[in-house]
Amino acid sequence: MIHTTIEKIKSYKNGFSINTKHKLIGWFFVIPGALLIFSFYFYPIIRAFILSLQGGVGNNLRFAGLFNYKRLLQDGLFKQSMFNVFIYLILQVPIMLSLALILAGILNDRTLKFRSFFRTAIFVPCATSLVSYAIIFRSMFALDGFINTILMNLNILAEPINWLGGPWTARLLIVIGLTWRWTGYNMIFYLAGLQNIDPAIYEAAKIDGASAFDRLTKITIPILKPIILLTTIMSTNGTLQIFDETQNLTSGGPANATLSVSQYIYRLSFEYVPRFGYAAAIAFVVFIIVAVLSFMQLKVGDER
Amino acid sequence: MKKKLTVLFLMLMMLAGFSTLSFAQENATITVWCWDPNFNIYAMEKAADIYKDINPNVTVDVQEVAWEDIQTRLSTSLSANQTKDLPDIVLMQDNALIKNVSSFPDAFYDLSDSGINFDKFADFKVELTTVDGRNYGVPFDNGAAINAMRVDVLEEAGYTIDDFTDITWKEFIEKGSKVREKTGKPLLSAIAGESDLLMVMLQSTGNWLFDSNGEPYITENEALKEVIRVYQELLKKKILVEVNDWDQYISSFQSGTVAGTMNGAWIIGSIVPVEEQAGDWRITNIPRFGSIEGATNYSSQGGSSWMVMASSKNPELAADFLNQTFAGSKELYETILPSSGALATYLPAGDSEVYNEPHPYFGGQKIYSDITDFASRVPRVKYGIYNYEARDAVSTAITQIMQGQNIMDALNEAQSTVEFQMW
Repeated sequence: MIHTTIEKIKSYKNGFSINTKHKLIGWFFVIPGALLIFSFYFYPIIRAFILSLQGGVGNNLRFAGLFNYKRLLQDGLFKQSMFNVFIYLILQVPIMLSLALILAGILNDRTLKFRSFFRTAIFVPCATSLVSYAIIFRSMFALDGFINTILMNLNILAEPINWLGGPWTARLLIVIGLTWRWTGYNMIFYLAGLQNIDPAIYEAAKIDGASAFDRLTKITIPILKPIILLTTIMSTNGTLQIFDETQNLTSGGPANATLSVSQYIYRLSFEYVPRFGYAAAIAFVVFIIVAVLSFMQLKVGDER
Repeated sequence: MKKKLTVLFLMLMMLAGFSTLSFAQENATITVWCWDPNFNIYAMEKAADIYKDINPNVTVDVQEVAWEDIQTRLSTSLSANQTKDLPDIVLMQDNALIKNVSSFPDAFYDLSDSGINFDKFADFKVELTTVDGRNYGVPFDNGAAINAMRVDVLEEAGYTIDDFTDITWKEFIEKGSKVREKTGKPLLSAIAGESDLLMVMLQSTGNWLFDSNGEPYITENEALKEVIRVYQELLKKKILVEVNDWDQYISSFQSGTVAGTMNGAWIIGSIVPVEEQAGDWRITNIPRFGSIEGATNYSSQGGSSWMVMASSKNPELAADFLNQTFAGSKELYETILPSSGALATYLPAGDSEVYNEPHPYFGGQKIYSDITDFASRVPRVKYGIYNYEARDAVSTAITQIMQGQNIMDALNEAQSTVEFQMW
């Protein structure tokens, strides 16, 4: 099929210049992918935007203009969920990425024994299901759970901490869970980046008397910069859309202290009286925030 | 060219094949979505067996779908107007029924004129399945609230189950403190941040989170404030302990740390599996609020009903199926009760001998007829369209109150949250 079409295009040789012909072939290869992206990515985004302009409940939708966007400015739960998500973002992304960088640095040492074992061990959390790890975390951090028992037996705590009961301990728990789950994932990117750095550079730096800290800040980080940028954007995006952890670990509680935006969208669509238009408007706001943050990070990170 | 023709021919053949297939189906199939193999699915399969004798051309295809998935699938299919993949009958949680009917008008088949006699079901269940005077569901699962207690623990404090029957919360707290003192065991456990127990208490007063006009009724709701006050007192006197999730809740009474539980009658399914405690349990009605006028010892929690989809190919057939089985066959309820403990709200079944069998686990108490009796006395309330929103808002308020916030502030916030959600 493809061959015959290429033959056909070739047979029009006389009609087109060589330049046009090349362009045509290029388009021919691009079109299937472009069509797929358009129909499964851009088309739904456009439809979601149109939906976000409609107000009403369930099937009784009607055009409402920007009403949904005005409504969400007054929505206490939306503000609360935005606040929670930004707390996760501010606390978790820097902790996780610096941890990943440190681990990658340690594991890149060629003299380290059992290197591949440690790499695998740190990456493995990433292969576990989001739901199952959230459930295991919940039982580990229960009032009479593993963590409290250990801490009390070590005499670090006198009274067990009710992790899931307090707003800040519950948020901390989500941050701990996220860090455990995603550090290994980001570490792999850094490891891949570190492989590309010629060891000779470090040797030269050592001879010139650069300390380990200097080598990290003056060689490793500048060379890894594009990768750090990539992981930051990916983590920001992921954290803003967090759903599984808050749903399964804390189900948004206590008193909505861990409710995430995606979870609120889910509630609006499937638990509460369905307001798909309003839910789409919130989704769109998240989309815009992610886009703006990514753009800012690109601008800050890109010095070319 | 020849090849193309052959392909075209083959495709036409296939199309023809499919269409004859669907025409050949004179035997109708009724598809059902429900959850819980030991309870709802089992009951549905037994109903299908019974209906086979009445109408042998009908096959019933029962598919296991979790409740959350039923709700998600209904919402997405109905809002996209793609009803092709929906079943003929769904099992619906009572607290979501009105919401679904009013969000998706015309999506559910009106059963009012289908010949089903709704007088044969418990009053409160019929109320929950009625929207604007039309019946949309055949009541099934019995959610009548029970107070299940360990009599061996009560005995240590010098009490019997009769001391906890037809009492007020004030008496319950007095006696509960004494049990706590003598045995060290609380009588109740509840999941922190969830409002199930509070809602059981609230419904027993005949009040709900919405007034008769459907407006949120939270700040001014004196019954709700009294419920919260009692709940706090129970917690303070350690008669009630809070746990973090469902599994911990179940294990709290299965392991014997807590000497009783208060929930919908279906909780029996989680009590009975612990063989060491056989004979130690009894059930009774829940305490009432002495200070609230019209308050009763009866309430409900959970429960579900069968609904027919309007998009079904033959809704009349599906309705007839329900009418002949869940709304008309005592035999069905007699079959499903002993093996699954599936208690229904079909009142004629209460007279049946099976319902009057003593239950060995409960020391020979005739629990089934007792529960059917409770069910007939549950106060009628309208859960309302915005039930989930209101329950979430009140749960949040209660968590805040437990963390030390002023009751009125927390309730005001809940009221304005619900008002916003309804706006």
